[in-house]
Amino acid sequence: MPNLQTNNLVKKFGGLTAVNNLSFSVDSGEILGIIGPNGAGKTTVINLIAGTLPVTDGEILFKNENITKLPSHIRNQKGVARTFQTVRPLEDFTAIENIMVGSLFGQKKGLEEGREYAKEICDFLNFENINKPVDELTVLELKKIEIGRALASNPDLLFLDEVMAGLNSEETWELIEIVKKLRERNMAICVVEHIMKVVKELTSRVIVLDRGEIIAQGPYEEVSQQEQVIAAYLGEDD
Amino acid sequence: MNKNYLILILLAIALIFPLVFGSYFIHVITTVLVFLSLSLSWDMMLRTGQLSFGTAGFFGLGAYMSIIVVLNLGWNPLFSLLIGGIFAGLIAFLLGFIVLRLREIYFAITTLALTNVFLVISENLSITGGSSGLTLSTAIFNGSSVKIYYLILFLTLVVIGISEYFKRSKIHFAINSIRNDEITAESSGINVFKYLLLVFVVTSGIQGVIGAAYAQQYAFVEPTSTFSLNFLLLPIAMALVGGIYSTNGPIIGAFILGISSEYLKLIMPYGHLIVYGLIIVVVVLFMPQGVYKPLKNKFSNKNIRGDSNAKPSN
Repeated sequence: MPNLQTNNLVKKFGGLTAVNNLSFSVDSGEILGIIGPNGAGKTTVINLIAGTLPVTDGEILFKNENITKLPSHIRNQKGVARTFQTVRPLEDFTAIENIMVGSLFGQKKGLEEGREYAKEICDFLNFENINKPVDELTVLELKKIEIGRALASNPDLLFLDEVMAGLNSEETWELIEIVKKLRERNMAICVVEHIMKVVKELTSRVIVLDRGEIIAQGPYEEVSQQEQVIAAYLGEDD
Repeated sequence: MNKNYLILILLAIALIFPLVFGSYFIHVITTVLVFLSLSLSWDMMLRTGQLSFGTAGFFGLGAYMSIIVVLNLGWNPLFSLLIGGIFAGLIAFLLGFIVLRLREIYFAITTLALTNVFLVISENLSITGGSSGLTLSTAIFNGSSVKIYYLILFLTLVVIGISEYFKRSKIHFAINSIRNDEITAESSGINVFKYLLLVFVVTSGIQGVIGAAYAQQYAFVEPTSTFSLNFLLLPIAMALVGGIYSTNGPIIGAFILGISSEYLKLIMPYGHLIVYGLIIVVVVLFMPQGVYKPLKNKFSNKNIRGDSNAKPSN
């Protein structure tokens, strides 16, 4: 049984079809890469599955339950968590309070328990300045807050939307190691990423989106050689 | 420890106050406490990121309901305060399903419009006495200013208690997240609408109880004075002067503005509103965070100056 299964997912913005008949699945303990050129609909797919945007058509099955119509916060409580491409910290909170939001509401923990859980997440992420206000954090720390808040809701399915963007190579490796450790926890993880080194290192399988449709899928090494994938990235006419 | 002593001392002063001072001062402080409670309830809603202009409206609803049940059903005036609060909260609950879909200026304008709707309705119903309003034969506690003071003080302490509870519980995390970033909040498991509705109902209920108490103090309600924008604008000014998003800010702001307005009235009966307005403008211009936060930072910096890890907050 796959952890996540989408059937013929469609999202239209007025006349523009951002996601078209998208069907794919992810298993527990698997890291799936979602790649494609800018505007291919990668972030829209996350928004649809996390419930940030309503779907136009199609269905989303999570652990065999149809969650297509559920509001965003319920999906999170059931185990779907995400990060945002441009970090969205809660600026009136400290670092640990940002992460606590995930454990307090995603898992419905009490204040003490929620803080303990958030501390464990900080240890896992090698996050030291847990009491710093958000505006004093580095880019890497802000990325860790995004991941930490998602993890604090104890998800079974995690979307990482370009978490490595804007990091130097040392920092990127640190996050790659963290994501690998998550896979060992039997989480299903979808990684949207532009940095191919990351995709190659982390994923066992990728789907390539172009204009909202899957144009190729399989292991990264195979897919990256396919003509239509190269054409989509280079913008050639067919 | 120091803070607890300070609270105890202030509480003792509040309790002894009417035994020492005359009825004029008691009346002034009673009015300050009424506006303090309204200011705090307005600030509690603002902490969710929603700017409500409905304070006067729910204040008036509670006031009317309380006078009506005493006048027509002969209910106990003290009990009528609760009825006024429940009624205002119930109306907020029903209207919340519509207005809490709105955000920012649209929410603000709609809540202001609601106040006007309440006013027009009260002017046109016979049960509300039309444009002349309703009058009771006697004020609560037969108009004893000391007893009324203790009643309002009790209500104010309850409101402060609720505000502090909101600050120290999970509710704080929910509403702060909603104010900071609604999308992050909902994707972290927060039921945004539920928390907005909760705070809207609780703060409207508070405004209803305070309105009821105010109406019982004066033993009458009348459309334009009961739904007066004074019960909206003064509480907002107090919260801005004292400092928003806190319990202490509106308390300090209410005392600064409440007492200075009385004092100004005494020394210049004709020009006091101009000076009063100037005070608000100057504070908001030069202390955009209000009075409370800069004061607090100044004192806490002094205390930790020896600590090498301490960083001055900006």
